Amino acid sequence: MNGHPQPEEAASALAAIRRQQEQVIDAVLVPAWYWPAVGAAMVAIGAAVDSHRTVVLAVVIPVAVVALVAMTGAMIFGAYRGAQVGSQLLSERGAVYIVGFVWLVVGLTLGCAFGLRAAGTPWPATIATALGGVALASGGPWLMRRLRAIMLRNRAGGTR
Amino acid sequence: MSPSRFDELIHAPTRLAIVSLLAAVEWADFKFIRDEVHLSDSALSKQLTTLEEAGYVEIRKSFVGKRPRTSARLSQTGRAAFDLHVAALQEIVARSGATIRPS
Repeated sequence: MNGHPQPEEAASALAAIRRQQEQVIDAVLVPAWYWPAVGAAMVAIGAAVDSHRTVVLAVVIPVAVVALVAMTGAMIFGAYRGAQVGSQLLSERGAVYIVGFVWLVVGLTLGCAFGLRAAGTPWPATIATALGGVALASGGPWLMRRLRAIMLRNRAGGTR
Repeated sequence: MSPSRFDELIHAPTRLAIVSLLAAVEWADFKFIRDEVHLSDSALSKQLTTLEEAGYVEIRKSFVGKRPRTSARLSQTGRAAFDLHVAALQEIVARSGATIRPS
């Protein structure tokens, strides 16, 4: 063991590794503003659809879609934060949470929209996207907490 | 018992911080690493060069528009060395019966 650290120093190095990785995980998580921002873009699209006005549709939908794609792309590819989270940290479990959450919100929004439209409710797309937006704004931070817990477990020296 | 190998190159505090960070991400911008590990540009550049020469880090220079962008990622060799180093540290701690303070 020549040149190897004493147990206290080794424990201190492991604690430093854990702190550094926890700090990085917090830095690369999707920021809180993302969820209500995406929710707002969805509602804008829903309201534009319900307005049935060509000018509104032509302006609002492209702008909202570009905003959605830009925000989501930046989050996925890490451009906003300057780093992309490692897939080994996220693991299959994390991917299942993300895909499940997306399907849940999409299913809720589309299901409500078609249901409300069939029932003859006015502004069905607006109401449905508002529900989807609320689900995103409230469920997004929950999803991030779950992913954070998964990544902390999968980091070096975690409780794997 | 899982394999372990204490790595003097990684163990230096500054490099340990850089490698720990890179082990948690696919890649990271130079600026992101600099801000997270609180180093100057020149100090980080020096440490990344050392890690690159050891084959632990891959550095990529590209342009985003007209702005140069430098990013770094841990190579497979670097990731394996880091995992072995962490295992070696855990082994030292386990043998002594000490515990790691929760972060």
